[in-house]
Amino acid sequence: MLGRQSSDSIEYEDQTPSREVWANGVCMKTSEVEAKLDEGNIQEAESSLREGLSLNFEEARALLGRLEYQRGNVEAALHVFDGIDLPAAIQRLQPSFSEKQPSRKGRSRGDSQHAVSQHAASLVLEAIYLKAKSLQKLGRLNDAAHECKRVLDAVEKIFQQGIPDVQVDNRLQDTVCQAVELLPELWKQAGCYHEAMSAYRRALLSQWNLGDDNCSRIQKAFAVFLMHSGVEAGPPSLAAQADGSYVPKHNLEEAILLLMILVRKFYLGKIVWDPSILEHLTFALSLCGQTSVLAKELEEIMPGVFHRVDRWNTLALCYSTVGQNKAALNLLRKSLHKHEQPDDLTALLLAAKICSEDSLLAAEGVGYAQRAISNAQGHNEHLKGVAIRMLGLCSGKQATISPSDFERSRLQSEALKSLDAAMSFEKNNPDLLFELGMLYAEQRNLNTALRYAKQFIDATGGSLLKGWRLLALILSAQQRFSEAEVVIDAALDETAKWEQGPLLRLKAKLKTSQSLPMGAIETYRYLLALVQAQRKSFGPLRSVSQVGGDRVNEYEVWHGLADLYSRLSHWKDMEVCLGKAKECYAPRTWTS
Amino acid sequence: MSEDSSSSEETNTPATSVSQDTFTTETTAIATSAFNIHPETPSSSSSFNTHLAIQSLSSILTTVSPSLLSQDQDPAFYLLHNPDISSQVSSLLRLPDSGAGDNNLCRWFYDTFQSSEPQLRLVVLRFLPIIAGLYLSRVALKKPLAGFEAVLLAIYAHETTSRAGQAVTVNVPDLSYPSIYHESKRPAKDNDAADLNLAVISPSLEPHGTVRSTRRARIVGVALELYYSKISLMPVGSKIDFCEFCKIWSGQEGELEDDEDNVEFRDDQGNPDKESVIKEGRIALPWELLQPISRILGHCLLGPSKDKELIGSASAACRSLYSRSLHDINPHAILATRSLLRLSKMVLDPKNNVDHTEIPMTDVISL
Repeated sequence: MLGRQSSDSIEYEDQTPSREVWANGVCMKTSEVEAKLDEGNIQEAESSLREGLSLNFEEARALLGRLEYQRGNVEAALHVFDGIDLPAAIQRLQPSFSEKQPSRKGRSRGDSQHAVSQHAASLVLEAIYLKAKSLQKLGRLNDAAHECKRVLDAVEKIFQQGIPDVQVDNRLQDTVCQAVELLPELWKQAGCYHEAMSAYRRALLSQWNLGDDNCSRIQKAFAVFLMHSGVEAGPPSLAAQADGSYVPKHNLEEAILLLMILVRKFYLGKIVWDPSILEHLTFALSLCGQTSVLAKELEEIMPGVFHRVDRWNTLALCYSTVGQNKAALNLLRKSLHKHEQPDDLTALLLAAKICSEDSLLAAEGVGYAQRAISNAQGHNEHLKGVAIRMLGLCSGKQATISPSDFERSRLQSEALKSLDAAMSFEKNNPDLLFELGMLYAEQRNLNTALRYAKQFIDATGGSLLKGWRLLALILSAQQRFSEAEVVIDAALDETAKWEQGPLLRLKAKLKTSQSLPMGAIETYRYLLALVQAQRKSFGPLRSVSQVGGDRVNEYEVWHGLADLYSRLSHWKDMEVCLGKAKECYAPRTWTS
Repeated sequence: MSEDSSSSEETNTPATSVSQDTFTTETTAIATSAFNIHPETPSSSSSFNTHLAIQSLSSILTTVSPSLLSQDQDPAFYLLHNPDISSQVSSLLRLPDSGAGDNNLCRWFYDTFQSSEPQLRLVVLRFLPIIAGLYLSRVALKKPLAGFEAVLLAIYAHETTSRAGQAVTVNVPDLSYPSIYHESKRPAKDNDAADLNLAVISPSLEPHGTVRSTRRARIVGVALELYYSKISLMPVGSKIDFCEFCKIWSGQEGELEDDEDNVEFRDDQGNPDKESVIKEGRIALPWELLQPISRILGHCLLGPSKDKELIGSASAACRSLYSRSLHDINPHAILATRSLLRLSKMVLDPKNNVDHTEIPMTDVISL
């Protein structure tokens, strides 16, 4: 240890041969003092400082400690600081402040006393702070945290009214800011996460007179800690919530609040841009599916912070996530313009995918997909299969609105060719099985379609409703109604009650096709009960896991039932059903 | 609950690969056997339960040292953190038929989770990454899974009860109103949260007596949510297991190095070809799974404990999932995984790791 220290000090001397100490207007070279310290003579070093600079004991010790700390001798620094009776020093500082602050008379005297005391306070607090830093460097994190906490406790005792804004000594303020920032960090490193939480809250909710950068760093670190520590912070103390302002109720809310405040601080010009803040916010908001809020934040950020194409593309992802595909596509058209970044693969793929879902856009999508195929090179080559698949989907969609039979069959066979080609790239992607099944079904090649639908259900373990529905539809297209019904029953069994609507509707239709009207009526009744229960229950909090509508339109149910009664010539019942259907339909048309 | 089980008994799934009709009965068999082992002992203290659990575990593991029972330290803590036990349990779990309804280890997990000891539940959760990982990857492989399902359902049921089935929601704040961290010119709203953005991060939970295939992802997702809520108590090894399965689930090689851990899938196929080894476990990744996965990975990458191996493993997982999200062209997943990936790069960048709590090192020291 000693050996390491002395070699360290030699190194330091080499780098900085002329370290100096200043006090009381006198300057002194430290080489002599440092030599004494290296010999382990703290007392001698101390006395030479006291004589040379006319200092008192505490001042000399504080200077020595700082010197050792700067030289990297943290253990020695700790030794020096241990020689100061810090609690007593803090005790001495307290009354002078709390007594002087309320009195308005004798102002000049009070002020001078203030200055002296602030100076002394700054000295003592810096000493404790450096002690904490030394302990941190020695890996004694718990001790370090306790020392650091003493700095803050002392500040709170000395300045009971909060730190005065103007008069405060710069150096004192620096120490306070650093200690406020260090304390949660220390608790975190020590693995005391609950203490870290309260240290962060104390940092941000008390009056420390922090600078913008300082405060923002703490806010960001706290947001990250809230998001990722895996420890629930619990609500802030009641004292902080008093004035009826918004109080976050758990970690994620608190983190989002802090990150939003940081983004706003940036565009108010208070802090410099930190790209990680936006990424943290993106992650947090996409976790809760609030990408439209993220889009709003992105739109508010000034131009020039990041490239407009990046902004458009990210916005497109945000809008597409919440189903606003039109808005997303408009943004992608801008970013894929030939003067912008026409070769961006992610943007091309997303654009192609959006187009593949709308027959009127499918032709445009074919273009994007072809561009994507030619750009899927180098480290992006793994996306080639995806691009080919998109080409297939867009061609297939385009075929559905094709005016001529010839054109339609050409597009369909192109679509099949692409999907088959994609299959060789993406062997394990079950989505392709489904898409091939759909395409073959549209071509009325039902046997092949059936094979793919079965493969899809196998590959996904029956976890996707759309697979069951496709299988049942193909079977019913083959007039195999009873088999289709078996499939629907199996699917019903794999589905929670809440999501059974579309399956029940299909089942009712299958019963009707088999001329089993009583069974169909029974199924419709069941379906109506479900629809009404859904209407009454909490809509938004339910899971909408299998997108594609687990909701059934009530109007359609009544209409289907009316149709059924009319076949049975039950005119009265039919009229009732149509009346009900009208009831569901009328208000919707007027309000929407 | 009763509705669920009654409707599942009368069905027979023609096309699914999962043998639905067998696992219901097996699950109940396990449930009853749990009562046989633990007769209702009112005096059962925590250490008694723990010792019982250790005893039955040692009969399953081949080489558990008997000294385990005479540990001075908290035995449940020991179970959770002992690397020897972990590696034995995980290699047993990775055997081809480990998920069967009559599997001893699954039974042990089920019984142990049902015990009232929170510490013992943590031991079960420690192995959740492997259980869930194998389970989801094996669904399409037509393997017996009733044992895994019983454990997962027990965890799901626990979470359903402790949440009372309620959804978990988030109020996305509106900065135009003041909050505890900022001021605003507009007056504070009286507790009328109507026009805040209410987001559901975990929908309400219905009880499930069996794993219906369309709810499978949700059930595993909820189990992962519970895992995430205890993640600060989990040993690093468990988190690394999780990251490894993320790579397998994604079905994307990404920038993977040589993967020797995926022995299981190699054995299944009798095919040592690396490409198919990794792609074999690819699963559908709906948001109800991807969301808890992202949160867990976020913790591994950006959490307070900076473990180099874990961070490396988690970034590789993140790369795979990002690559997968591109293959699915899933904008939601792209946003989440891309931001994680970018953040993990920023964290490793030394430029972003300046210590602002260090004092300025000056040559002139003044008082």
